[in-house]
Amino acid sequence: MKILVFGQIRDNAIEENVLGILNKLSEVFADSEISLALLANQINNDWVEELGKHGAKKVYTVEASELENYLSYPYVKSMLEIIEKTEPSLVLAAGTVFGEDLIPRLAVHHGISCAQRIVDISLDIDNILFHTPVRDDQAMRVTKLVGAIKFATTRTGAFFINENPSGKSPEVEKVEVTFEAEDMLVKHIEIKKAERTVNLKDAKLIVAGGRGVGGKDNFQILKDLATLLNGEIGATRACTDLHWIEETYEIGQTGQSVSPDIYIAAGISGAPQHLSGVKAKTLISINKDEGAPIFNYSDYGIVGDLHEILPILKKKLE
Amino acid sequence: MKIIVFIDQIVSTQVKLQGVDFFDPSKVDDVDLVINPTSKNAIEGALKLKNTFDAEKEEEEEGAKVTAVCVRGLKPIKALREAIAMGCTDAIEIADDTLYTEDPLLLAKIYVGALEKIGDFDLVFLSAEEQSSSSYAVGAMLAEKLGLPSVLYAEEIENIDGGFRVGHVLEGGRKIVEVPQKALISTSDSQYFTPRYTSMKGILNAKRAVIPTWTATDLGLSANVVGKEAASLQQVSLTNIVIEKESYIITEGEPEEMVDNLLSKLKEDEVKLGA
Ligand SMILES: Cc1cc2nc3c(=O)[nH]c(=O)nc-3n(C[C@H](O)[C@H](O)[C@H](O)COP(=O)(O)OP(=O)(O)OC[C@H]3O[C@@H](n4cnc5c(N)ncnc54)[C@H](O)[C@@H]3O)c2cc1C
Ligand SMILES: Nc1ncnc2c1ncn2[C@@H]1O[C@H](COP(=O)(O)O)[C@@H](O)[C@H]1O
Repeated sequence: MKILVFGQIRDNAIEENVLGILNKLSEVFADSEISLALLANQINNDWVEELGKHGAKKVYTVEASELENYLSYPYVKSMLEIIEKTEPSLVLAAGTVFGEDLIPRLAVHHGISCAQRIVDISLDIDNILFHTPVRDDQAMRVTKLVGAIKFATTRTGAFFINENPSGKSPEVEKVEVTFEAEDMLVKHIEIKKAERTVNLKDAKLIVAGGRGVGGKDNFQILKDLATLLNGEIGATRACTDLHWIEETYEIGQTGQSVSPDIYIAAGISGAPQHLSGVKAKTLISINKDEGAPIFNYSDYGIVGDLHEILPILKKKLE
Repeated sequence: MKIIVFIDQIVSTQVKLQGVDFFDPSKVDDVDLVINPTSKNAIEGALKLKNTFDAEKEEEEEGAKVTAVCVRGLKPIKALREAIAMGCTDAIEIADDTLYTEDPLLLAKIYVGALEKIGDFDLVFLSAEEQSSSSYAVGAMLAEKLGLPSVLYAEEIENIDGGFRVGHVLEGGRKIVEVPQKALISTSDSQYFTPRYTSMKGILNAKRAVIPTWTATDLGLSANVVGKEAASLQQVSLTNIVIEKESYIITEGEPEEMVDNLLSKLKEDEVKLGA
């Protein structure tokens, strides 16, 4: 079976989730032929080598100034050309913001639907099965796609990366794509990179706040608690978007990934995009809504107002 | 300016239906049917643009129109009346037993059918996610089918000459792009899209509103195109995820009691807070 993976580049390197996909594919589809598509202004040979190490047999490259930044049309156009060349049975991308934009569009061009944010992929007798958690991860939906070519994205953080990959240099094939003015209707202006001044990766304890914190000043109690417990603070994108706290503290798919022993979540609803960045040994949450999804993931929880609970908690711990 | 906003109606996440029960319509009460919170963000995006446009227009010019369209839901009319109460100009219900909306490609086809029947429009708004069971694919599929420039997961919109400058969610930050005026925008739940409340005037409009119901036939779509048999994404199974770990959630007591309760349980389980 032929599989094509979108080799997304992020910060001048292969997106980590792409490596996770390669590892998973090598487990599930032992005899498959895995190709990668690399699209960029300029291809860096290190990317090619790294993909080879992680199991890519062949890398298709498209180099063009139009591909310097992700934009739907030029990326779709390039991928369609590569698909036509490789005739894969399965096309996969990491479920990043770009991957989730790309895959449905490619699927549309092949008149088929797609499965997004899968956390597992398996083989039935003659079907590929896609596993997607639904209803705040309370239920698992398994789907199949009907058609000769199937399209899917994976949930970020779902698959492990092989730490000791031993693959060989892949074969490289250059693909020429020409772009027209109408491919560039959406104009890339800039990427406002969030400053990452504080590294939360090694924090043993994190006190994280969500929209429920209710304001910039209210973050003080979280900071005090974190200091008391020798930990760090963290926040959801909702809070950084509101400028209640610096962007560096954002945790999740688009923020930092953390793996503390203890994660205290206050006023956080528990969106998958937030939790996909949290791998805590113990998750303690405080939320005034008993139905908040965060409780489904928590080891301990208090249904209550964080403005009441946190000060008491801090006092008792002092 | 004519803006179309596609909304979904869902079972409120406040409803305590666990796992697969959540997907069983026979277990759902009408009162628990609400506009998907992220659809409210999309409505807000459309209304904000309408407000800006109306404030800048010449006196004799017609105001901007926002039409809410709902396909997904057990009682779309209810969601649409609320959309009008928030400030939408009018609404269209699309309801037909033959329509299968669990497959994002079919839903995109239904939306295309609706837009073709509506005729002229400038902008399409929708939300990127349906809570709980999203396909996360409809926005991109619709944009591709329509050949419309688009932005997914928008967080802020600024009017510029001949179009919009839009910031959207991105791993590690935010990406800024510019799209022409005729475009598709899917919204995130950023502060910019915090939904407004319904207004008195809106509620009156909603009561009076005549909301047409379009069927598949009205859209020129037959079951073999948008019915379940046409779905290429097919559900094989839906099962509860059994979580082995036990969780200890304290739901009752005075705040101080709850904290004591938590701390003693942590101690019992030998979980240490801090150094
Ligand atoms: C592509 C994409 C990527 C994303 N990436 C990320 C990411 O990396 N990280 C991230 O965090 N988000 C991310 N998001 C946003 C994510 O979808 C959610 O919108 C966000 O995580 C919600 O943040 P929240 O839990 O703080 O807010 P809400 O969902 O609004 O939850 C607030 C919670 O606080 C509770 N609450 C309110 N008041 C109180 C009180 N007084 N006491 C106790 N509890 C209270 C409420 O009951 C509620 O549960 C992303 C979104 C998209 C579309
Ligand atoms: N007084 C309250 N009691 C319990 N839950 C609430 C209350 N107010 C808001 N919520 C919940 O918190 C979510 C976010 O609301 P808010 O805090 O208003 O941003 C809502 O969707 C409700 O589920």
